Amino acid sequence: MLEINNLEAGYGSVQILNGVTLNVAKTQIVALLGGNGTGKSTILKAISGLIKPTAGTITFNGERIDGKRPNQIVRRGLAQVTQSKEAYPGMTVEENLRVGGFVNNNRASIRRNLERVYDHFPILKERRQQLSGTLSGGQLQMLCIGRGLMSEPKMMLLDEPSAALAPQIVLDIFRIISRICREGMTLLIVEQNVRMALLLAQYGCVLKDGVIHIEGPAEDLIHDDNVRLSYLGGTVADRHGGQNLQQ
Amino acid sequence: MQYFIDLVVVGLSIGLVYGLVALGISLIYSGLDIVHFAHGEIYMFGAFIGMVVAETLSLPFPVTIAITMILTGFLGMVIERVFYRRLTRAGGGYTFAGMGMIICGFGMSITLQNLANLIWGAKAKPFPVSFGMPFEIGSMVLPQSYLWIFGSAMILMIGLHLFLKKTRLGLAVRAVAHNKDIAYLMGINVPMTISITFGVACGMAAAAGVLVAPINYVQVLMGIGVLVKAFAAAVVGGFGNLPGAILGGLLVGVTESLGAGYISGSYKDIYAFMLLIIVLMVRPSGILGIDTRVKA
Repeated sequence: MLEINNLEAGYGSVQILNGVTLNVAKTQIVALLGGNGTGKSTILKAISGLIKPTAGTITFNGERIDGKRPNQIVRRGLAQVTQSKEAYPGMTVEENLRVGGFVNNNRASIRRNLERVYDHFPILKERRQQLSGTLSGGQLQMLCIGRGLMSEPKMMLLDEPSAALAPQIVLDIFRIISRICREGMTLLIVEQNVRMALLLAQYGCVLKDGVIHIEGPAEDLIHDDNVRLSYLGGTVADRHGGQNLQQ
Repeated sequence: MQYFIDLVVVGLSIGLVYGLVALGISLIYSGLDIVHFAHGEIYMFGAFIGMVVAETLSLPFPVTIAITMILTGFLGMVIERVFYRRLTRAGGGYTFAGMGMIICGFGMSITLQNLANLIWGAKAKPFPVSFGMPFEIGSMVLPQSYLWIFGSAMILMIGLHLFLKKTRLGLAVRAVAHNKDIAYLMGINVPMTISITFGVACGMAAAAGVLVAPINYVQVLMGIGVLVKAFAAAVVGGFGNLPGAILGGLLVGVTESLGAGYISGSYKDIYAFMLLIIVLMVRPSGILGIDTRVKA
């Protein structure tokens, strides 16, 4: 569904991405991993249209989207879920969600999408008229995911959904994300929390020095020595007693 | 006592005029991150365009105001698109481009003054409308213009509030004002929304110009004094804060009126700035302002 070929991008004279190639197939969940400063947010910005790549192509559903404006890319069904701190604090929960559904001009489908989001996240329904500034970190992340869902996307980009959240809350949120994906969503999740990301994803890519350094099915990566030593400090299976998020 | 009430009423109505211009300034600042120094000339152009509309079409006053707002709004959108867009896109606020925007605003101010001079000449012109006899409230006698100012300003403020809170486009304006990138990611056409925000702000200033025009003459230099007072009003109320702009306007207007009435009318302009200085000393963020962080 999403094909990135030899992507190069950066900010002004600083080149961050040096030829990234990455594919996400329909209904697949792919995790993009890497430490700080490796270019994860640069890739997201290039995909969603906030920055223009200097070389390479990005194709979504067979159509070239590199160089297009972000609002046009959203209209084609590719939505980015922002980090939790990027919710609009001065607006209520419902207003935030409505902004997410902006591409939709149809009242009935907005109503339907709101109900769908409230279904996934009942706590948001409870607090629909409250200012989003009153929400906790986990609830804000749910709000951002809900915002992404409002545009009825075919694929979502998740920008570090576990950032600044307690592990149990991250597990809860990832369970809900997993449920959303079983309904047919395609996902590219950018994460620093390698353990969590590989529990959720089927395929993983590790970004380093502006290129994909290691990639492979999630189960392989979890047990890969390179990944294990660099990012995990032990195997995932040890820590979580084989917990399965696919419930 | 009656004198005091008279002064307050006059102060409130001129305050509403300052408030409408200040509203535009704060709206532009919150939405586009730029300080628009040519806004006084938009107000002036509004008065002139209103004069032309009134002369050629002779429609009821509210219709004249509405048409003038739309025309001046469009003029503003063209100015934004042609002159300001490149600077705002290169970065607002504290960047080079942002500073450049201030100078561009001054330049546009001078340009618009001279443009008006070329089109209409430097002579002060009366606004071609007559409202009939002044009306009486209690022991006060007020020209009908004041009624128009109060009524129209109320409607415009309520209208803007409803627009921002209840409409889809208003939601987009608020989203873009908070963070352009995130708004883009929500599928909002950010450049179009920025133009519309600017157009609305210019419409407000134009309405102020048309409302004041029947009281004073319409002249090329009428924007200069109002710009500085409107800025003071916006800062007093909290720069970027919309209710604050109106509140600031009312405070500036009343302060100016009371100062001129009780202290001295020769230095009328000082009172607004004294108020500004005092507010900045006591509460620098403005009365309704909050600590603003530099936006992403």
